[in-house]
Amino acid sequence: MTTKTADAVSLTSATKRFGPVRAVDGLTLAIPRGQTVALLGPNGAGKSTTIALLLGLLPPDSGRAALFGLDPEQAVRQGLAGAMPQEGGLIPRVTVRELLTFVSGTYAAPLPLDRVLALARIEDLRDRRVDRLSGGQAQRVRFAMAVCGDPDLIVLDEPTAALDVTARREFWSGMRGLAGQGMTILFSTHYLDEADEHADRVVVLGHGRVIADGTSAEVKRAAALTTVSVTADGESAWLATLPGVRHMEIRGGRVHLRSGDSDATVMALARAGAVRDLEVVPAGLEDAFVALTAKENA
Amino acid sequence: MWGYVRLELTRSMRDGGYVIFAIVMPVVMYLVFTNLGLAPGDRHDAAIYTMVSMAAYGALGGAFNNGSGIAEDRAAGWLRQLRLTPLTPAQVVAGKVVTGAVAVVPSIAAVLLAGVLVNHVTLPPQRWLAIVALLWAGTVPFSLLGLGNGYRLSGQSAAMANIATMLTLSILGGLWVPVENFPSWLRAIAEWTPSNSYAGLSWRIAFGDVPSLRQVVLLSAWLLVFGVYAVYGYRRAGRRA
Repeated sequence: MTTKTADAVSLTSATKRFGPVRAVDGLTLAIPRGQTVALLGPNGAGKSTTIALLLGLLPPDSGRAALFGLDPEQAVRQGLAGAMPQEGGLIPRVTVRELLTFVSGTYAAPLPLDRVLALARIEDLRDRRVDRLSGGQAQRVRFAMAVCGDPDLIVLDEPTAALDVTARREFWSGMRGLAGQGMTILFSTHYLDEADEHADRVVVLGHGRVIADGTSAEVKRAAALTTVSVTADGESAWLATLPGVRHMEIRGGRVHLRSGDSDATVMALARAGAVRDLEVVPAGLEDAFVALTAKENA
Repeated sequence: MWGYVRLELTRSMRDGGYVIFAIVMPVVMYLVFTNLGLAPGDRHDAAIYTMVSMAAYGALGGAFNNGSGIAEDRAAGWLRQLRLTPLTPAQVVAGKVVTGAVAVVPSIAAVLLAGVLVNHVTLPPQRWLAIVALLWAGTVPFSLLGLGNGYRLSGQSAAMANIATMLTLSILGGLWVPVENFPSWLRAIAEWTPSNSYAGLSWRIAFGDVPSLRQVVLLSAWLLVFGVYAVYGYRRAGRRA
């Protein structure tokens, strides 16, 4: 494979153990160029280790990691990838401008400094000392370090974990500009609304494995978590056999059907003439996530 | 890599610890010692002897401070951030070594200048040259010891260990008080220290002697020991990074 055609990110049966714990367990993942992908999972799901493997910060015990068909370290040397680890990376006694000028200078074809400052929305902070920034400001500077080399792939490990709602919104508005330029973006998060809102594709991790992979709608479907409910009287056990239905619950005269294919379920209900006070409630990714990890644990 | 060196030097010059320990203190102590008649013997000789002592003391401060910076950088996640740039690990290590080598220059220069300008020290040009070169090159073993501590220990304890080591080596090596004034048992210990050999090379040159073989061999042996220690520390740090 050449770097022209290879996937931006490719992990093949990658495994990483820490003592007895398999942080990443035979994980295979391919991300084509230009996608914005959310890596979703609770703490301990293996998100950070997966990211460390694909950036070459840790060697896999077995399996392979590649960026653009290259060894990750090589891809980083060539300036193809920029990354923002979960924490750290800011040093005292330098200004924002000095720090970014240095990091840009390590790349062959960096973005102009003014463009970086604008992207990260830190124009007004350029002469501020890095050790005198608020949490949200520091996070934007760290983001600027990840993008200033104009990489083709940018990897962000829980970029908004430490931010309040306003700071999170500001952060994502900067990100949107990048995705528009065809940059491949991989970010990890445990904020499910972020994955839902900002990613083309959601990869759900649990115990170091991919447990769901698709658009957020597909992930919800995989978890059979659209709830179709109708008012029912009389015998209603037959409703559990309708197409798409995975689980049925009767509460206070209402039948709640958890469905993996709500369209099919509703059509069947209509054919049977059982549509009374119909309600279709799509699950949030949060519910999808709980269901998926529960399935994984079972 | 030069961008990295420049960044690191900028940070050093803004580091109060570095400026005080490596530049201000040695100059102040030099002027106090030589002008309060605390140094032994002839006034001009004392000005020369103490100039070398204090330049060596300042250089030690600069060398160890650079090592403490490594621990601070690791704690701040900066070393990992550097691994995510196109810089190679070799360039990063080389950059830090060059930074250390440059960071000792102001310490040496400040004390020597104080010697010339305030205490009117005069020496033949070739002796000046030899002293500057030896004071500068002789910092390598101490830089390695400082880096070893920086790689092996965490931020706070690395800084403490480096300051403690620097002061111990300075005092025991006879940089503050000449070893001739030590009790004989302490003097016997002092003459095995790397700092005593280091300053000793330049003391001898300053007074027209050639450095003794013992000093050269001893300092080289310490260079080897501290080099091994630094490599050991670096490998250990690499496994945890």
